[in-house]
Amino acid sequence: MTAQEVRLCGLLLHEHFGEVVEKVGTHLLRSGAQNLRTIIHETGLSVDLVKKSLMVLVQHGACLFSSGRKGPGSPTEYRSGCDRILRILRYPRYIYTAKTLYGDTGELVVEELLQRGHMTMSGTVKTVADRLTQNMEEGRSMDYSEVSSAFSKLVETHFLQRCPKLAGAGTADSTSPAAGATPAAPGTPAAPASAIPPTPESFPDCYKVPHMTLVGRGKRQLAAEDGEDQRNAKRQKMDSEAHGDEGIYWQVNFERFHLHFRDQAIISAVANKLDQTSSEIVRTMLRMSEVTTSPAATCTKPLSANEIFRSLPASYNIPRPILDQYLTLLVDDPMEFVGKAGESGGGMYVVNLHRALANLARATLESVVQERFGSRSARIFRLLLRKRHLEQKQVEDFAMIPAKEAKDMLYTLLSQNLVQLQEIPKTPDYAPSRTFYLYTVNQLPTARMLLQNCYKTVANLIERRLFESKESKRLLEKSQRIEAILASLQASGAEPEQLTEVEEMITAPEKQQLDALKLHINKLDSAENQVDETIFLLESYVNSTATSTG
Amino acid sequence: MAARGRSRRTLSFSVDSVGINRGESLPPTLQQPTPVFPVMEQKPLPLTGGEEAEYLLALKQDFRGAMRSLPCFIQPAAALRDVERYSDKYHSSEHTDGLMDWTPDWQRFPRELRIHARKPARDGVSVARSDAQSAQKKKKKKVREKEEVLIKLETLQKKEEQQSEEDDDDDNTEQKKKQEDDDADGDEEYDEEEFEEETDYIMSYFDNGEDFGGDSDDNMDEAIY
Repeated sequence: MTAQEVRLCGLLLHEHFGEVVEKVGTHLLRSGAQNLRTIIHETGLSVDLVKKSLMVLVQHGACLFSSGRKGPGSPTEYRSGCDRILRILRYPRYIYTAKTLYGDTGELVVEELLQRGHMTMSGTVKTVADRLTQNMEEGRSMDYSEVSSAFSKLVETHFLQRCPKLAGAGTADSTSPAAGATPAAPGTPAAPASAIPPTPESFPDCYKVPHMTLVGRGKRQLAAEDGEDQRNAKRQKMDSEAHGDEGIYWQVNFERFHLHFRDQAIISAVANKLDQTSSEIVRTMLRMSEVTTSPAATCTKPLSANEIFRSLPASYNIPRPILDQYLTLLVDDPMEFVGKAGESGGGMYVVNLHRALANLARATLESVVQERFGSRSARIFRLLLRKRHLEQKQVEDFAMIPAKEAKDMLYTLLSQNLVQLQEIPKTPDYAPSRTFYLYTVNQLPTARMLLQNCYKTVANLIERRLFESKESKRLLEKSQRIEAILASLQASGAEPEQLTEVEEMITAPEKQQLDALKLHINKLDSAENQVDETIFLLESYVNSTATSTG
Repeated sequence: MAARGRSRRTLSFSVDSVGINRGESLPPTLQQPTPVFPVMEQKPLPLTGGEEAEYLLALKQDFRGAMRSLPCFIQPAAALRDVERYSDKYHSSEHTDGLMDWTPDWQRFPRELRIHARKPARDGVSVARSDAQSAQKKKKKKVREKEEVLIKLETLQKKEEQQSEEDDDDDNTEQKKKQEDDDADGDEEYDEEEFEEETDYIMSYFDNGEDFGGDSDDNMDEAIY
């Protein structure tokens, strides 16, 4: 929970949930687990606002609650983590992936779930069907069953999962149904006051689609009603009909998306380094081991060359000996994406997931140094990565750079903390004339440092975007109002002269200003998305080392 | 650091191994913090464009916009400005159509987070409802109040000649009727006597001087101030 992470989380909460939730959220992030009274007292907000914000945070999974530390009688404590809030940066990527895999229906399902946090299947299906119907032509509407099947497919491939049952929530589960349980009462007897909240995967029903009776088609919203009637009409439509899946809430399974992104990164890296056919082979191998590999595995299960040959897509008609050659090439490649694990079955091959992530992170670090300091500094950096420890003189010799410039570059890298100095004493008194000073690069700490830099970068981008919009707030409001007037005029059928007259209310220099503003904001937003890709890579690398060592 | 060596110009580490040769000057020492926006030697690369990047951008901006209109976007009660402005009438109706307040499944939340819809406090702020709805109710209440004030004035004018008790009774019954009408619409009860102009003071506190000197004429022992 570094300062940069907290700052970025605060900005993300502000943009998506408002400033009240931001205050409560950042307070929780900074102070750890707290109960309700302390939060109210320390944030200085009103009781109801704090309660509402906590509910929003819990609904979206950003905050967990559990019974207090002092035992069953103490008030519930709420704690929040940075990771879940930082995922908000990646939402567009999740939605886009769902679109590529499952079409528009899948895209909308994932988008609805991301917007609402937790939802029942019936609720999601209805809302998505309505939205799809809205965009279709007159007279056509989307059937609920299509949306349900898209939902089920997402669940089968583990992209969606059930929300875990929360111990210590409103009423107890199976023990005392009518006990009027206080929030601190222990829930299921199977979880003996565990401090760790249950993960969704610890429940056997995690990926089971409930039997749901939901028949109908999406409803198109009629645009002619005014606000009051529309609200009443909506209220009537949404009255609760039991669909057989009450109490079962679904959420997006971010880990599964991350595995998908990781696989995509490996495949595209192979495609860039070698060629299209090798990337297809690696894609086949990854696809075959999708279900057999656990998320934290170092490498996939060994696959024999025969199996790979049989599972290659039909369009790739490569003969068997060529496949063997490709596999040998992949194994010999210094990036070590594919390794050989035995000789049976024509050769057993694995995809080295963690090593691939480490190499991708290393490539990222090298490219950062190259873009920031130049190609010669990058050469020194790569040299130090490869040779681990080198003296000043050796650096100059190996990198083939004149002494003065090499020294300068080394010191710049040292001052930016990308290179560290290691002292090896010859005598126990560390006398400077009798000590070796070696330059070294440690990949993991450097990756962490760059990850923090990325968080800071995204926070700066967001702040700059907010600053730009605030500067031109008046202009933006004016343009919004004019758009609204234009829309209403067009809806009521006005003549073109009236439309042009309204359009001319924005003068030409104002229009230029608006266009420039739009361009800047789009650039900043796009930059956020790109930095998030780097964040994903570095985060995966750091997490993979944590699981393998810890 | 340099003063340790007894006026000899030596540094704590050996100059050879780190690479500073004799006769070369060290770079000048910094006297102030580094500039906030240092000059970049290398220009950064341009952003990757392309269809995917644009689609992701559109998704991101749509998502942000959609979140603003959902009930989970909590805005605090807007601070009352110093002077009532004409545009307040238009601004207050902007945020009224967030999809109706979501009713959470209370099984999944701790009991203590439950907000009970209480009867609104005297100053008309209802706790569990959105600000827009309370603003609408306030407006309706103001309109109703003004109508009632007018009606009350009319009835008072009509019944000025009659006795004061009868006047009070009639007013009270009419007040009760009006109150019942009001209560049918909203669950607010307000005491008209206390609430005439939305001040915090009970109206009977302000003595408009009619009674002064009217009673206690009998007792002439006390001086009248």
